[in-house]
Amino acid sequence: MQIDMRNIRKTFFGAPVLKGVDFCVHSGEIHALLGENGAGKSTLMNILYGLYKPDDGTITIDGEEVSIEDPRDALSQGIGMVHQHFQLVNTLTVSENITLGLRETGYPFSKRKLIDQRIKELSETFGLDVDPAKLIKGLSVGERQRIEIMKLLYRSAKIFILDEPTAVLSPPEVESFFNVLRELRNAGNGVVIITHKIGEVMQISDRVTVLRDGEGVLQSRLEDTNEHELSKAMIGRTLTQREHEIRSIDVTSPRLVLQDVTIHDGKLSLLQNLSISIAPGEIMGIAGVDGNGQQELAEAIIGIRKLSSGTITFNGNKVDGRSIIDRMNNGMGYIPADRHNDAILLPMNLNQNLLLKKHLDPNYLNHHFLKRKKAESTTKNLIKEFFIKTPSENTAIRYLSGGNQQKFVLARELDSDLQLLIAFQPTRGLDLGATDFIQSQLLDLANRGVSILLISTDLQEIISLSDRIAVLYKGENMGILENDDQLDIALVGAMMGGKRLENQ
Amino acid sequence: MKINRNIIHYIWPVASVLMTAILLLILIGVDLGSAFSGFFRGMFGNIYQISEVLVKTTPLLLAGLGCSIGFQCGFINLGAEGQLYMGALASSVVAIFLGHLPHLLLIPLMMVCGFLAGGLWALIPGVMKAKFGLSEVIMSLMFNYIAIQFIALAIRTWLKDPEYPFPMSQPFTESAQLPRLVPRTRLHIGFIIAIVLAALVYIFLWKTARGFQIRACGCNPRASFCVGVNVNLNIILSSLLSGGLAGFAGFVEVSGVQHKLMDGISSNYGYLAVMVSLLGSNHPLGVAIAALLLGALDIGGLSMQRSAGVPTSLTTVILGMIVIVFLLRHHFGKKEKEISHE
Ligand SMILES: Nc1ncnc2c1ncn2[C@@H]1O[C@H](COP(=O)(O)OP(=O)(O)OP(=O)(O)O)[C@@H](O)[C@H]1O
Ligand SMILES: [Mg+2]
Repeated sequence: MQIDMRNIRKTFFGAPVLKGVDFCVHSGEIHALLGENGAGKSTLMNILYGLYKPDDGTITIDGEEVSIEDPRDALSQGIGMVHQHFQLVNTLTVSENITLGLRETGYPFSKRKLIDQRIKELSETFGLDVDPAKLIKGLSVGERQRIEIMKLLYRSAKIFILDEPTAVLSPPEVESFFNVLRELRNAGNGVVIITHKIGEVMQISDRVTVLRDGEGVLQSRLEDTNEHELSKAMIGRTLTQREHEIRSIDVTSPRLVLQDVTIHDGKLSLLQNLSISIAPGEIMGIAGVDGNGQQELAEAIIGIRKLSSGTITFNGNKVDGRSIIDRMNNGMGYIPADRHNDAILLPMNLNQNLLLKKHLDPNYLNHHFLKRKKAESTTKNLIKEFFIKTPSENTAIRYLSGGNQQKFVLARELDSDLQLLIAFQPTRGLDLGATDFIQSQLLDLANRGVSILLISTDLQEIISLSDRIAVLYKGENMGILENDDQLDIALVGAMMGGKRLENQ
Repeated sequence: MKINRNIIHYIWPVASVLMTAILLLILIGVDLGSAFSGFFRGMFGNIYQISEVLVKTTPLLLAGLGCSIGFQCGFINLGAEGQLYMGALASSVVAIFLGHLPHLLLIPLMMVCGFLAGGLWALIPGVMKAKFGLSEVIMSLMFNYIAIQFIALAIRTWLKDPEYPFPMSQPFTESAQLPRLVPRTRLHIGFIIAIVLAALVYIFLWKTARGFQIRACGCNPRASFCVGVNVNLNIILSSLLSGGLAGFAGFVEVSGVQHKLMDGISSNYGYLAVMVSLLGSNHPLGVAIAALLLGALDIGGLSMQRSAGVPTSLTTVILGMIVIVFLLRHHFGKKEKEISHE
C-alpha cells in the first residue's frame, strides 16, 4: 500500500497552517515526521485520518485518488491513528475500549470471550502486552498507549499514524515500544511516527520528512541524512546536548520534607514509606518507569491526594491535611503531566485559562471582580516570553498545537512567586528548541532558590538537570544518588527495574 | 461559497420548523391563513396580547436563568419545576399568615422566602452530588414529584381556603401582590425584576471570580480541582442559586399573577426552563431571548386554538422540533470546522 499526499493546503481562521505539503508513506516502512511545535504535523496527519478536509491538494492510495470523509472512512481504507492525547473511556475495560464503536462478533450482545481471545492473539503476535480484562482507570500511560495501538490492530489497520507516542514513555518502555513498531513493519504495515527526538528518528525510522511552518523542508531516506542536518532542517540551528553542571547546594535546612509517605488505594499500595527532602535551590530528579507512583507522589505533595500515613513538611510547617490552594498560596506550584485533564479548560481562551490559576490572586481582583485587562496583558506577555504560537490571547486553547498548550501551562505556572515547583514531565511534547528553553528556565529558577521536584520518564532530562536523583519503583524509593561525575547510569537503570540501593 | 454556507446554516433550521408546522396544520385540516394570522395576532395583536407574552416570559426567564447557572457549573438541574412550586409555597405561606404586614415589608419577605425555599429544595440534590457523587439528574427530577404532591396536599389541608370548595389557598391580600406595570393587563413588576436579575446573573457569572469558578467547574472539574478550586462548594452554591431563581419564579407567579396558591400554578415552566436554558446556550442574554420565544409561542398557540381551532398540543410539537433542530444546528450547512482531536 502506498499513500501519497500532494500539495496539501489547510487554513484555520484565515491563518495558513499547511502551505502545500507533499508527504508519502508506504507499507513496510517506518516514516518519521519531524517538526517544531505548531509546524503542522498533527494537522497533516489529521487530514489523512479524515478529521479535517484539506482546502486543496490530493490524496492517492496506490495511485487512485481518494477522498477521506471521516475516521471511519480512513479506517476502512486501512489508515489508523493514535492521537497525541489518548481517547480512552476510563470507566470501561481494555477490551470494551478496543471494540468501542465496532459492530461485530454478535453486536449488540458482544461475545467478550471471543473478543478477548482475539486480543490475546494479536497481543502475542506483536509483543504488545495488554490485559483485556483490566479497567482503563489506573493504567499507566505506557499501557494506554499499547491499548490505542491494539485498537487499530483490531480494526486491521495497515498504516499506523502515531502522534508523539514516545513523549510519555521512559527509555525501557520506548525500547519495547520500538520493538512493537518493528514487528508491525515486518508484518508489512506502514508506520508514521511523529516525534521531537532526533535520537529516536535515527534509531527507528527508515525515512523522514521534516515540516517547518507548514512547509515540507526535507524528505529523505535515513541513510542519506544525519542528526545534524535534521536538527537544522527542523529548527534552523543545531543544539548541543545540555551538559550537567554540578552545583553546590546547602542541604542543611531542607524546604520540603516527606517522611514515610504512604498512599493506599484499597489493598493496593501506590506509595510506600517514601522519604525525600529537597533543599532551597535544589533540583531533585525522580526517575522511574511511568506508573510507579510518580503521579501519586506529585499529587500528594500538592494536596490533590490524601496520605494514608506519613507527613509532609514545607518550610518547617506540616502541610498534609491543608488544602491545595493553601499550599499554592505558600509558594508551591504544580505542572501536571496530563495537561488536558488536570491543567486547562479546553474550550476556553488563553486569558480564561490564565485566570483559572489567577482568579484568586488579589492582583487580578478588584473586590470580587476579575481584572480582565490585567489578565489580557499578562497573557500577552507570557505568549511573547515563551514563544507560544497562537493567533491571539483570545483563541480557545484547544486550537493550539500540543506543544504550545504545554508551553502555556508552564508559562502560567512559572509566572508566580514560587518556592517549590513540582514539574511532572515538563517538556512532554515540546520540540528541541522549546525543551532547551524550558530546561534553562528551570535551571534559572533553581539558581534563584526555588526547589524543584523534577519528575520525568526521560532519564536524559533527569540527568542533565538534577542535583540528586531518586528512583521510584512500585511506589518505593529505591535510593537517592548524588548526580556528580561518579553517577553510574547503569545503576540508575537497574534501580528503575527494582534494584534497591545498599546502605539506605 | 462562504456566504452560501452561512445562509444555509440559518435557513435550514427555520425552514424545517416551518415546514413541520405547515404539514401538521394541513394534517389537522385547518385553514392555513386563519391559523397563521391567529398565531401572530395572538402574539402581537394588541397591547394586551403583548403583555400576556411578557407575563409568560417572566417565569420562563427566571427559571431558565436558574437552570443555566446549574448547567454552567455542571449541575444538571432538571428540578426547576419542583423548586418553583416550593418557592410558590413559601411565598404563599408568608403572604397568607403575614398578610397584614405593609407592602414594602411583605413583598421582600416573600421574595426572600420564595428564593430560599427553591434554593434549599435544589440544595438537597446539590449536596448529594457534591458529597456522595449521586446523580443530580435523577434526584432533581424526582424531587419535582415530591414538591408538586406536597403542594397539592397543602392546599387540600392546612392551607386550604375554608370559604371555598376547590383546593386552593386563601387569596392574597393587596399588600402581598406585585404591582401591575400596565393598567388592565396582567403584566406586573416581576417582569422588570426578571430582566434585572438576568443582568445580575450575567455580571456574576462573567465578571466575578466566584462566577468564573462556577463556569470553570462546569468546564473541567478535575482541572479546577487541581488548581485549588473547591469544586464541591461551587456545585453546592450553584445548586442553591439555581433552585433559588426557580423558586423566585414561583414567587412571581403567585404574587404577580395568581394571587393565591393552587394546583398547576406553573404551566410546566420548570420543564420548559430546561429548554429555555438549552436554547439560550446557558447565557443570560440567550436565555432571555429563548424565554421570550417560548412565551410568544405559547400565547400564539392559545390564540390559534381560539381562532382556528388548532389544538395547543401543536405548539408542544413545534417546541420539540425547535429543540431538535437547535441540537442539530452544527450539522446544517457546515460540518467539520471546529472539531479538534489534538
Ligand atoms: N482546529 C484548529 N483550529 C485552529 N487552529 C488550529 C487547529 N488545529 C491546529 N491549529 C493551528 O495550526 C498550527 C499547527 O498545529 P499542529 O497541531 O498541526 O502542530 P504540530 O506540528 O502537531 O505541533 P506540536 O508538536 O506542538 O503538537 C498551530 O499553530 C495551531 O494553532
Ligand atoms: Mg501535534
